[in-house]
Amino acid sequence: MASPVVGIIMGVIFGASLVLAGLTNPDRIIGALRLKDFHAIRTVVFFVLVAMLGTWILGLFGAANLSIKPAVVLSVMIGGALIGIGLGLTGFSPATSLASAASGRIDALITVVGMIFGAHVYILIYPSVVVRLEKIFNFGNVTLPELTGVSAGIWVLSIFVAGSLVLLITWSMQPRFGEADLGVKGAFPASTDSQTVAGGMGLLLRSDYIKAAYVFRRWKNLLFLVMLLCLLLNQASFWLVITGQVEISGNTNFDAPVVAGADNTRAGQTTPEEGSGSFMLFGYNVTFGLLSSIMRVTSIILILASAFYALIMSFGMSVSFKGGLGGLNHICGALYMALIIFVLLMPWQAFFGPLVLGATYTTQELIRWSTTDISDNFTMVLFYLRFSGYLALILLLLILTQLRSLRWVRAIKAVSREDDRNPNP
Amino acid sequence: MEESNSRTTPLPWWAAGLLLGLVQVLAIALVGPMGVSKPFVDTDVKVLNSVAPEYSEKHPLLSDEQYKDFGYGWWFNIGIVLGACFAALHLRVWKIRTISAWWRRNHDAPALLRLIAGFCGGVLILLGAGLAYGCITGQFFGGWAQLSLSAIPFTITLFGFGMLAAYIVYPKTPNRLEEED
Repeated sequence: MASPVVGIIMGVIFGASLVLAGLTNPDRIIGALRLKDFHAIRTVVFFVLVAMLGTWILGLFGAANLSIKPAVVLSVMIGGALIGIGLGLTGFSPATSLASAASGRIDALITVVGMIFGAHVYILIYPSVVVRLEKIFNFGNVTLPELTGVSAGIWVLSIFVAGSLVLLITWSMQPRFGEADLGVKGAFPASTDSQTVAGGMGLLLRSDYIKAAYVFRRWKNLLFLVMLLCLLLNQASFWLVITGQVEISGNTNFDAPVVAGADNTRAGQTTPEEGSGSFMLFGYNVTFGLLSSIMRVTSIILILASAFYALIMSFGMSVSFKGGLGGLNHICGALYMALIIFVLLMPWQAFFGPLVLGATYTTQELIRWSTTDISDNFTMVLFYLRFSGYLALILLLLILTQLRSLRWVRAIKAVSREDDRNPNP
Repeated sequence: MEESNSRTTPLPWWAAGLLLGLVQVLAIALVGPMGVSKPFVDTDVKVLNSVAPEYSEKHPLLSDEQYKDFGYGWWFNIGIVLGACFAALHLRVWKIRTISAWWRRNHDAPALLRLIAGFCGGVLILLGAGLAYGCITGQFFGGWAQLSLSAIPFTITLFGFGMLAAYIVYPKTPNRLEEED
């Protein structure tokens, strides 16, 4: 299939796409590296997410032709640094320099000439430098799922969430020069709106922004309540188990880490049996199986709700900024705390082992700790810090975030009252 | 009208990202992840094999058969040039330019310095691509699409040093992106 004809067709599509995406403009790349222009960042992040998701789906059907590069960490890091310097200096990557040169840029053409010379330098240093570097920190052609034992689906989901957050954060940030100056067709009509609002000439428009902020406030409060409920349910389940009200039962394979709610339950792992060591609550038989399900479900909801909570804060910040509603310092603070909550809640132990612990835990982890001897004080403190203290910290952060966002709401209310008093500024 | 068109990004970010992502998925379905830098090495290998065959026989890279292949990758790069040229002509953005707005804002020096910087940058980019086993297209975009471990250290140093270099070379932000020379 890898014939010259396929190569040319794929190249034509890719080259045209680069021009259409605006990535052949070095100003876009430099602006992105200086964090002044987010078009290229958003494009690249979305590119990565779509390609990753598509490749994963292809892999499910066995249709992906993969070619994993060797993870020779030191060599890759040096190479990445050199490309980074070149990119920061010129604003071109190998692909965009070719496409940009074809669009008439002389500097890109000279960069292509430089790359041909660079290939020559690489060939010259290959025997003395590259061959030696190949032997240092060489992990081989390995993927993240292979290295960690975590399924590709979980990795795709995690990176997708992280990438979506980057998109949302950059979406809410206005570039120093409006995108109209950068020439994005039809983008940022709000830049003129915000100027109108800032000039005190668009009270109707500002009223719209205020209403939008109230919508986000309602969602924010709802998510806060959901997270609060999940935290309380999770802790109630934990204390019922740990105080012996409900006995732990069932066989579990402790060696393989399992992310809560993941679909990668393996052979040898069985869910705890129901029916033994239960107690009655309001006439309902509470078993360990039920509690483990509650812990699993609440963990998943907590992670998702925290992501949406941060998302809502980001939207709120964007509305507040564009509408000139004030309280930006409060909503920014709330956004950062919401992001910290999300990061802390993620089950990092599933990816990096027990050295990096996320606040959410699996039933298997709880059983493993519960069946370990924790008679000495240090281990006991660690145990309660892990399963209760960590979530208490999350609860504290959540309350602080909510309080901070309340100050943002108060600032908007003050603006709303001011507008009501002076309808004709 | 043409002035404003030449500064226009034809697609919004989401459409551009979607298009590029789908192109990558199509490439992986048909052949494999896209890569741009290897054909540059292939070209040099071809030249050196012709110019200095005795030296090439003893060289571990020049004697490697995988670098003597003028197949898919080489034609892929030709396709990039053709596709970009066609798109630029179709969008009426094809224009001879030497300096970018960021360069003009930060350097009063003539275009020659920009060209020298471009050449040096090109040398570093391809040297880095060789050491990193792939360039931005192959190692970054292709690496993350396949969830390969090597994409992580590559991404960290690429953007870390990229941002540092951009901050040093382009400390001043242009007020607006004027049309390039």
